[in-house]
Amino acid sequence: MILDQLILPWLLAWLMAGLGAYLVAVLDRLMASGSAQVGSVWLAPLASAAWLMTQQATTTEAPDAPAWRLAPALYLALAAIGLALVPWSPTLVGVDLSTSLVLWGSLEALATVVIFLHGWSANSHLALIGAYRYVALGLSYLLISMFVLIGVALPAESLRLTEVVAAQASLWHVVSQPLGLPLFLVVGLGLTFWGPLNLADSADLSGGTAVERSGPPRLVWALARAAMLVAFSAIAATAFLGGWMGPWLPGPAWLLIKSLAVLVVLLWLGRRLPRLAPERCLTLMWVVLLPLSFVDLIWAGAVALWMA
Amino acid sequence: MALLTLSFILLVTLGLGLLLQWLPARGSLKPTYPQRAPFLGGGSPDTHAWNRYHIRYYPMTLLLIAFEMEMMFMYPWAVVFIEKGTMAVMEMGMFLAILSVGIVYAWREGVFRWQ
Amino acid sequence: MAVSWQRRLAARAPAAVFLVEGARIGPVRETLALSPGIRLVDTPRHASVLVVAGDVPTGWRDDLRRIHDQLPAPFVSVWCCCESFEALCNPIRNDAVEALPQGVVETHRELMLGKRDSAPRLLPDEPPNSWEGLGDDGHGGEGMMGGTPYGRPMAMNMQDDLRDGLTLDTLTFRLGPFHSALPPGLQAEVSLQGDLVQTWTVTRKPFASVVEPIFHAARQEPVPIVEIELARARHHLRRLYRGLWIAGWPRLAERTLRMAGQLSPNSDIAGLRYTLERGGLWRLALPEPGRGALDEAQARQLGGPAARAAGIDDDLRSQDAHYRRLGFAPTCREAGDTAARWQQWLDEIEQSLVLAGQAARHDLKTAEADAVETPRGPWADAFPHDMSDLLGEVLPGLEWSEALLTLASLDVAALDLHPLGETRLPGPGHAGQKGHA
Repeated sequence: MILDQLILPWLLAWLMAGLGAYLVAVLDRLMASGSAQVGSVWLAPLASAAWLMTQQATTTEAPDAPAWRLAPALYLALAAIGLALVPWSPTLVGVDLSTSLVLWGSLEALATVVIFLHGWSANSHLALIGAYRYVALGLSYLLISMFVLIGVALPAESLRLTEVVAAQASLWHVVSQPLGLPLFLVVGLGLTFWGPLNLADSADLSGGTAVERSGPPRLVWALARAAMLVAFSAIAATAFLGGWMGPWLPGPAWLLIKSLAVLVVLLWLGRRLPRLAPERCLTLMWVVLLPLSFVDLIWAGAVALWMA
Repeated sequence: MALLTLSFILLVTLGLGLLLQWLPARGSLKPTYPQRAPFLGGGSPDTHAWNRYHIRYYPMTLLLIAFEMEMMFMYPWAVVFIEKGTMAVMEMGMFLAILSVGIVYAWREGVFRWQ
Repeated sequence: MAVSWQRRLAARAPAAVFLVEGARIGPVRETLALSPGIRLVDTPRHASVLVVAGDVPTGWRDDLRRIHDQLPAPFVSVWCCCESFEALCNPIRNDAVEALPQGVVETHRELMLGKRDSAPRLLPDEPPNSWEGLGDDGHGGEGMMGGTPYGRPMAMNMQDDLRDGLTLDTLTFRLGPFHSALPPGLQAEVSLQGDLVQTWTVTRKPFASVVEPIFHAARQEPVPIVEIELARARHHLRRLYRGLWIAGWPRLAERTLRMAGQLSPNSDIAGLRYTLERGGLWRLALPEPGRGALDEAQARQLGGPAARAAGIDDDLRSQDAHYRRLGFAPTCREAGDTAARWQQWLDEIEQSLVLAGQAARHDLKTAEADAVETPRGPWADAFPHDMSDLLGEVLPGLEWSEALLTLASLDVAALDLHPLGETRLPGPGHAGQKGHA
């Protein structure tokens, strides 16, 4: 019992986090310039990680030391918990909670706290601006995420992720609730402050919350961000793309393929768009995306009733 | 049991994260004071960075709290939705409509801008 | 010597470089940005090689020392066309800009493999203020905020906020001469409330901006219009590259830079323009229309593309007979705000490429000497002066990212009147002799 209730979820989460983070680095590099890659694209993330390990870990004059050290590790832990929620097959789930959607929502909320702490604890001017700027975004994407996930839970009559996948047996949610996945992708970009929603670690703040990070803590932060991206992709594939469902391959393989597809789309969006100005980001999320998520919810309800 | 598993994963990953940060830095030197100064492109700061930061999206957070309460209501609502049928849609529609008026008001008042 | 596998792997990583740009240096940032083995970073904490390119005069040396000490160990500095500090015993000096990328990559590799020691720290290891506090744990002290806890005072509320009048703490700091988003050499005392700029006071003016030698040659003799227009387009594309980097679009920024390196009379920026518009640069990223607007007096003083973006259609090229023959008319926009200036860049690049194409067919040269329209502004008897005090009027009231994008769109540095490659005698304000650190 210890083996499959305690060790298996942990190993699943860590394996996916590790391999996924490596894959994110490789794919991102492939998409970055496309040309003029020096060295092998498979070795490059490992080389950068090794270089980061050799760097000295900077500290600042008067940081909040516990938070300064905990923030990257906490973000990594949140990503690992998220990965433990993902159902790989009807029987292979890390942690099969009856309210796994609620737990995922709470992870998103806690991610805002952790990212804010990462910037605030440094006691550095540019990092502070990055942290406070990110919180505006963090509080906004939370609502969109919840409405969209509730919409996914309606046909399943349950908040359990395995039931959500089972309810997609006839039609995947990406088809029956077409607004859901695009909105959820925006949430994913915000959760990992990736690409257009990179208000936390942006170039105009010289690296934002990570401006004073160097060395191994910076590596852990990058790892955590990539792992969270992977966890998000897996949840998105579970909730919208039918999870483990698919013809010839075994369930887990299908989930991997679908997660990879979502991951590629997120990385592509990250490279394709400029960073949103904070004011416009907030206006966009509350005035456009949130009403769209209301529409998505009503639509999901109507479809669920009609198909029941 | 699930709680135990989740706590286990949380603690072990936290431990790994902290270990990864601390282990390679064991032998290296402590950063000097000039190294610790905040990066400002070469400039110097007058004060510490921590201050009573002027958050400009504070009214937005009040609106957020209203919506959060709605979310709390919606979790059990989602589970019994199909049983209750159209009645549930009506209730939720009303709730959303009332809160949407809040969004429109906030938008017109410039809450979503750095005002 | 046994080098661990970790170090060998680290040597294969791209060299993370923090670039410090000084005076009178060509496009070194652009050269390094396009090199595959080098990654330019925005903060010295993310770097292990500090590259100082271009002369850093005496007044700016202390800030350079500060940046030098902010890199994490192991690190090394590479100096290009600049006097290094005396305290560095074995500095790497590499004055050829073309050979710089290769030199930096090799230096990084040597550093990782242990063949080169990490550079020493320059400033003494002392806190900025001694820890002042009364009582056992240092709590309490004199003054409203209890002295200087952990070396610095705490921020205090000073004045009403510009946008909503609420008085909270004002954060004041000097944003340094070598920040990647600022023109090189510009130091400003910035005070923020939250992330809104309240005041912006320039404490040190930026280094004179360098234009390609062909603009200097055009004042002596007629030059082919193709060359001068391509140089102009290249200059604007490089400014666009820096702006896009700050706007958080590194992939397109690199594409812009590549285009700048491969310009020909047949080049076309329609694809670039399409990507910028469809990607939502104006709708999502740049400040809204009206932000960062210059009034007419300011625009007239500034000159160049910024003035044309404000509706003032002055352009020295319209006095040139051969340009008129090609059908040249200054392109203008009415709103003088940041979004218009970014559009103006694209308009001017397009116009330059069209002119270059036409001039290549007819093989024309400029008809006028003595007066040339540089990308920075008109240069006849008067030349573009330093206008950095303009920033103190334009930037307050803007949120941080808006302020930096507006700064990127304004070219406030003075024009460097001597072309690169001309040897100048060291004048006042230069580091001059060896032995001065």
